[in-house]
Amino acid sequence: MIEVNGLRKYFGNVKAVDGLSFGVKEGEIFGFLGPNGAGKTTTISMLSGLLRPDAGTITIAGMEMSGGGGKARSIMGIVPQEIALYEELSGRENLHFWGSLYGLSGARLREETDRVLDMVELSDRADDPVGKYSGGMKRRINLCAGLIHRPQIILLDEPTLGIDPQARIRILDIVRKEAESGTTVIYTTHYLEEAESLCKRIAIIDQGRIHAEGTLAELVKLVGEEDIVTITGDFRADAFPALPEGTRIDRIADGTARLVVRDHGAVGSMLSGFFSSGLRVDTVAISEPNLQGVFLKLTGKELRD
Amino acid sequence: MKRVLIIFANDLRRRLKSPLSILLMLAIPLVMTLVIGGVFGRSGKVEMTKIRLLVFDADRGLGGRFVRQGFEQGKLAEMFELVPVDSIDGFDLMAEGKASALLVIPRGFTNDLLDRRQTALKLIKNPSESFNPIIAEEAEPLKKTRSMLSADKWPALGDMQVLLDEAKIPFTQVEGYIGDSLVTLGSETAADTARAGGNAGSSGFNIFSYVMSGSLMLGLLFTSNIMLNDIVREKRAGTLARALCSPIGTGHVVAGKVLSVYAVTAIACLLLLVVGKFAFSMDLGDPAALAAHTAASILMCTGIMTLLFGIVRRERAADAIAPVVIIVLAMLGGSMLSFDMFGETMQRIGKFSPVYWANDGFKKIMVFGAGTSDISRNILVLAVIGLASLVPGALLLGTGFRKGG
Repeated sequence: MIEVNGLRKYFGNVKAVDGLSFGVKEGEIFGFLGPNGAGKTTTISMLSGLLRPDAGTITIAGMEMSGGGGKARSIMGIVPQEIALYEELSGRENLHFWGSLYGLSGARLREETDRVLDMVELSDRADDPVGKYSGGMKRRINLCAGLIHRPQIILLDEPTLGIDPQARIRILDIVRKEAESGTTVIYTTHYLEEAESLCKRIAIIDQGRIHAEGTLAELVKLVGEEDIVTITGDFRADAFPALPEGTRIDRIADGTARLVVRDHGAVGSMLSGFFSSGLRVDTVAISEPNLQGVFLKLTGKELRD
Repeated sequence: MKRVLIIFANDLRRRLKSPLSILLMLAIPLVMTLVIGGVFGRSGKVEMTKIRLLVFDADRGLGGRFVRQGFEQGKLAEMFELVPVDSIDGFDLMAEGKASALLVIPRGFTNDLLDRRQTALKLIKNPSESFNPIIAEEAEPLKKTRSMLSADKWPALGDMQVLLDEAKIPFTQVEGYIGDSLVTLGSETAADTARAGGNAGSSGFNIFSYVMSGSLMLGLLFTSNIMLNDIVREKRAGTLARALCSPIGTGHVVAGKVLSVYAVTAIACLLLLVVGKFAFSMDLGDPAALAAHTAASILMCTGIMTLLFGIVRRERAADAIAPVVIIVLAMLGGSMLSFDMFGETMQRIGKFSPVYWANDGFKKIMVFGAGTSDISRNILVLAVIGLASLVPGALLLGTGFRKGG
């Protein structure tokens, strides 16, 4: 559905996007995970036709975006990072305007407006000025404005930024349902859990480059399938008990140890051996391989929510 | 066109929902009119007294008669009371506060005209009065007498008809006198009449029309400024980017935005004129002339401000620069201080401000009762400036949009 090859964008001497290539299949939720300034929004801006790439090609449903992508734009829905709504207008008036830009009019426009308002459960507040909405409500209308014309592709740029967990869950549910109905979704975020729970495939982006791309399982394999067990208690580093096979010490000091367990099933036997040695254990924390670890390994930095 | 109208209608709806900023801007010309008009308009009375103009016609020929007849026709007849004086004793009447100015038509004025010799009308202004002598100086008969024999355009034949008929001069003969500036108007202020004040007569001139004709443009320029500033705010809010991502296209977005600037400025102008008409009893003059001149003036406002915002794209820069540009153009054009009070050099400079041409036209229509043909030059200048700034301005705006801001 979407094919991107060698995409580049410079702002002066700054390489905002540096040779991005990826593909997204129909009905797939493809995530861009990266910190602020990684190049996610610039990529979305080029995909949506707002920015012209300095190099590279974008093909949307077989249509080249190089000529401005008029037709391709009509099948895309954009949900920008900003709450791009007119605060003085009501939610309904906003949706009428954004819908009309995509060719909706008359009864069809009214029907689609009602449909998306129902979807985000804001029908009862539809005629209030957007300026009087809460942050979560604005985010929901912002989402509606990108969905009102039933696009085949939705580009969502950090759509849950700065909202409460409840509103976030609601938005993620809507995105999931859209994908289930066959809509292709590109979703940018710097929230690890959103990328993990929502996206079928994830591209890890930093400094304008994709460092890795694949399903969550594929990405995790990049850092190995080892669990990290962190133990704190009353023990000395030089008197640490012997460890079973497949387990090694990553870091150790008096009172704290970080162990790497290659086989997830070996964690239990390792801990029982530790308890039977008679040493006092205060806490045990087990962390399975996740995107945080992948991101840390690939970019050398941590993603912060 | 439908796409342009979608953008236009949305901007108009938004402005109607949130009109406060523009209403505040419109208060500027209204307050100026009220304050200045109140100060000069005799304790706030709307109607001013008739301007008494003394005429010393030493020529007693057709040329002098032509000048005098100009003051005795149409709207000017309501504004001026012409008092023929036999000699330069008219000074005494001014000193007694019984006249605003003395017009001296020199001996041999007609012959000088016909013999293509340089000649001069002299207007001696009463220094104890503020506006009336200036209005007298601005009066069309004096201007027309000069322009008819010096203008680069042939005057309407009707304007010369009386003179031609009475002089029995064939048109072809008169044609030979056109081209050079033969008549000059010398004006001075009578120093020895400073103690006198006031004037006599009945109503005819509305000071509010005079002030509003100048201050109107200030409100309209600021209205255009607010509308274009809204585009800069839309950039920040992300609504502009979202619109540009739609299939509607940059050109349609720019056209819709510019159209809404024009429309809202036109609504603002209409509002000011209606308030002027009913609150200040202003005479709005010839409707056709007013409509044509207003349309051209708003085109100029829209064009100038579009060009400015096409060049200055950042919000802070726009906030800082636009009001300065507006105030400078308005000051030079005579919106704050009557253009007639400017010195000769400043008047020359002021004519480079497009606001001058707008103010001058409004004054001619609302104060002197000019028709469309009388202000055709103003309309042409404003339309040319408007289009010449609007086209590159819109292109620059579009380029800025495509570059993402």
